[in-house]
Amino acid sequence: MAEQKRVGVYICHCGGNISDYVDVVALRDELAKDPDVLVSKHLQFACSDASQKEMEKDIRDQHLDAMIVCSCSPKLHTHTFRNVAARSGLNPYKYVQVNIREQCSWAHSDHSAEATLKASGLVRAGKERVLNAEALIPIRVESRQAVAVIGAGVSGMRAATALADMGEEVFLIESAEKAGGQVGSRAKLFPDNSSGAALVERMQGEIRKRPGIKLFTKATIQNVSGSLGNFTVKVSVGGGETLSLNAGAILIATGYDDYKPLTDEFGYGSGPNVMTLPEFNALLESGSGDIRVGGRAVKRIAYIYCVGMRQVKGPNAYCSRACCTAAISSALAAHERAGGLDIFHLYRDIRTYGKQESFYERSSKAGDSYLMYSEKSPPKVEQKGASLGITVKDSLTAKTDIELEVDLLVLVTGMVPRSDSGNIASLFKIPRGSDKFFNEIHPKLRPVETVINGIYLGGSCQGPKTISESVQSSLAAASKIFGVIGKGTIELEPIVARVHEADCSYCGKCAKVCEYSAITEAEHGDRRVAIVNSSACVGCGICAPVCPSDAIDLARYTNAEIESMIDAFAAASGIVPSASGEGDASGKESIQMKEFPARWNTMLAAIGDEAMSIPAIAGATGFDAQDVTFEVMTMVKYRVLVPKGIDDDDEYYSYQRKW
Amino acid sequence: MAVLDPSFKRTLKRYGAGDFSACYNCGTCTAVCNLSEKNAEFPRKLLRYGMLGMKEEALADPALWLCYACGSCSDTCPRDADPKAYMAALRRYAVARSEPTGLTGLLFTSNPLSIVFSLVLALVLGFFMLTLKPDHVVSRWIFEALPYEIIHNVGLIVMILTVISMLFGVVMMFRRLFKGFKLPERPWAALVDAVKKTIVELISMKRYRSCDNDEESFWRTRPLVTKPWFVHLSIMWGFIGLLVATAVNFILKDPGTQVWLPTRLLGTISGIALVYGSSLAIYYRLAKITSSYKKSSLSDWLFLGSLWFAGVSGFWMEIAVTADWASSLNRIVFLLHTVVSMELVLLFAFSKFAHAFYRPVALFTHFFRKA
Repeated sequence: MAEQKRVGVYICHCGGNISDYVDVVALRDELAKDPDVLVSKHLQFACSDASQKEMEKDIRDQHLDAMIVCSCSPKLHTHTFRNVAARSGLNPYKYVQVNIREQCSWAHSDHSAEATLKASGLVRAGKERVLNAEALIPIRVESRQAVAVIGAGVSGMRAATALADMGEEVFLIESAEKAGGQVGSRAKLFPDNSSGAALVERMQGEIRKRPGIKLFTKATIQNVSGSLGNFTVKVSVGGGETLSLNAGAILIATGYDDYKPLTDEFGYGSGPNVMTLPEFNALLESGSGDIRVGGRAVKRIAYIYCVGMRQVKGPNAYCSRACCTAAISSALAAHERAGGLDIFHLYRDIRTYGKQESFYERSSKAGDSYLMYSEKSPPKVEQKGASLGITVKDSLTAKTDIELEVDLLVLVTGMVPRSDSGNIASLFKIPRGSDKFFNEIHPKLRPVETVINGIYLGGSCQGPKTISESVQSSLAAASKIFGVIGKGTIELEPIVARVHEADCSYCGKCAKVCEYSAITEAEHGDRRVAIVNSSACVGCGICAPVCPSDAIDLARYTNAEIESMIDAFAAASGIVPSASGEGDASGKESIQMKEFPARWNTMLAAIGDEAMSIPAIAGATGFDAQDVTFEVMTMVKYRVLVPKGIDDDDEYYSYQRKW
Repeated sequence: MAVLDPSFKRTLKRYGAGDFSACYNCGTCTAVCNLSEKNAEFPRKLLRYGMLGMKEEALADPALWLCYACGSCSDTCPRDADPKAYMAALRRYAVARSEPTGLTGLLFTSNPLSIVFSLVLALVLGFFMLTLKPDHVVSRWIFEALPYEIIHNVGLIVMILTVISMLFGVVMMFRRLFKGFKLPERPWAALVDAVKKTIVELISMKRYRSCDNDEESFWRTRPLVTKPWFVHLSIMWGFIGLLVATAVNFILKDPGTQVWLPTRLLGTISGIALVYGSSLAIYYRLAKITSSYKKSSLSDWLFLGSLWFAGVSGFWMEIAVTADWASSLNRIVFLLHTVVSMELVLLFAFSKFAHAFYRPVALFTHFFRKA
């Protein structure tokens, strides 16, 4: 006989969320009968301090060797109860959470007996799983105290100085001749009209001040290998020597490209009087007094917004978000430089969000005209002698066709992913979205991490951003990186793939499917086997099912665990539920309404004492069958009707009055 | 295809429009307006025309004249673009554009010029008035240089020119309003209907009343006789009554010496209405009692002031004549009364007064097009 198991089972009421529908007492009693279970309890709120203390006491006093809590989704409280286990000396991985709220009481609130049955299956499965679970210890990886920052634009430079100040060595890798990126070429930036060149110069000074930052310009990345804590980035500098840089983590801050309009897109390329916003900014910042194009002083300027952006059918479905403010601030600068200008803004929506709204305010008060066009009827541009004729259907003036003649047309282009972003994605094996910008794990909760452990994103390589947003994200990534590698050792979840060398003969199938390059081939005695780099493995589990000899499995998801869960769930439950729809665990009766809706009364009259199907009720009452379906479902929910069972043709359920 | 004229915006600002470029086209003004309706949407649409420089479209829209300037648009505007002031400025511009001499435009856009012009005109009128008596000392030498008949004829010609200007303006306006307009199926029935509706509206101004009775209106709970609708109506009917009385007196060659003569009675009642209405209107504007009265241009003051003065001085004279007080002060008052009244009539087509014939034209057009 096997050694006595000592499992603790805690069933949570969730303050009625669970216990109103699931018979928690019956569950407790069923589990108490199980020979493996030493403690079986039901609790008002398992997550409350008192309940946690009670569990800790049980673990210590009863020497529990495994624990399950049957409550809400594991996403909510796995760590809460793992910590309970850890505090009282139980291995946290000898704890399993069973979800009987989202999966039972909430999902089946109209069938409480069945919900209890399902919960009983899940709890038994959970108990089997925890019996088969291994006590795991977190993986510890030694990390290099160095970070490779890819791209020395404003995001990369700012993150580099922050990381250097935290004591990390930084390799700042830039493909261009000098650091600075897009910002370095601009003389005036919104919102404060500061100079981009001055900003970049200041940042370069900061970098020179920090010996911990090593800047490589004209650098090309040739190869990236390794994993969190120990990446190797091979870089050729100036086309000459190839350096091998060793870093604990990598920050990608490669930035964006400006959208280049297609030939003849809004007249682009048809003359010097059609230019993109970056081109116009360069012109605007290059002199003073009248703005001259093709030798003529410009008096009237039109801007067309969203050029190449927000395409319903094209590749760039996104909004570039910074360009509305950029365009308006350039219009304000144009007014400032040359007085007496008439400026027309042909826009789709103005998105001068947040504090940038004041730009729109200033521009409209300066007398700029705003005309709204829709993507379906874009403005038409044609050269007319020395000037340009533009026709636009203004949505705000009853879609009137409006003609204007201007001296200069500025196409407000947005940000697109860099042309080499595909190359960077494949070097670092980081995914790109359908928009071809690099993807984070979670847009809200993990906004600067990639799916690859140790590789982070900063700035506009991730999507269109203003300078301040870019710097925010790269600084977030810098602190995230320091949080992970700063201590020198990294603790990782032990939920990773493991190879049983005895069964493996290295066929390579697992290595081929691994998207994280975590599996490599290695010598094992006289044979070749697969080995898993546990700091690169994220525990996705894709390798396990492709292995022809079952030589690879995933901790926490071993065959033994999964199979035991299935068996336990399939086994007969000790709980005998009452007849379908009856035996409500919480003892609720049908709802008390002062009076039923008129439609219900009509339907109840039609049903009488018989059991009727939905089409039959619809036929008898003359109501629309869809409406009848809705009403019947509601009435069943409120226990006015009960399902009577399916008819002989297996076609329709019939329903009967509850009393 | 509308062609944009960016200078239009600046022009309208000279005519007294506020900071209407601040508008972001939300349409709150049109939503709160009691008078805006389908096919006559204002003020938003008209503001839009102004912001973009769609001059011809703005002038071709009779909706401009459907507004009675209650000011609820300006009260609710989230951008302080003051649609009410904009509409008033656009109406001034429309008057100036319709009148052929260009004088109206000068008077509306330059306050000093407007004052100088009114004073010089008053002096000239006063001088002629004083010198018309053939046996007067001055007249002897003056009529040697400029015979009485010539002056009389010039006066007539000036009057005729005023009428021509007015007619020209009306024709211009009709042409603009009916550009590209297709006749309704039964044009005669539509015509009769439109004329009927226009007359009813002119007599009762019931659309104006709906402004005062708006749920949010300051005037909703105020006594009827203080409501802007009543004030406007009494000025209008007071003036018309006085005009009719004067004309009848002129035709009957009867100066109306008896107090109980019907024309004299009509004149007295109309005079009371005129003085009552214009006094209240002036008080409202001075007290800036609602946003409707917050912003007054010089043309508003000149027009209201002239009406009020003509009315008050008329009563003064009535009392003086009845009591038979012949004093030099009363003579001066009589002179001023005559000069101001004449100026009102002479500048009929060149001042704020012009709305009295542009609005009916626009109303008629609106009703006719709607038919």
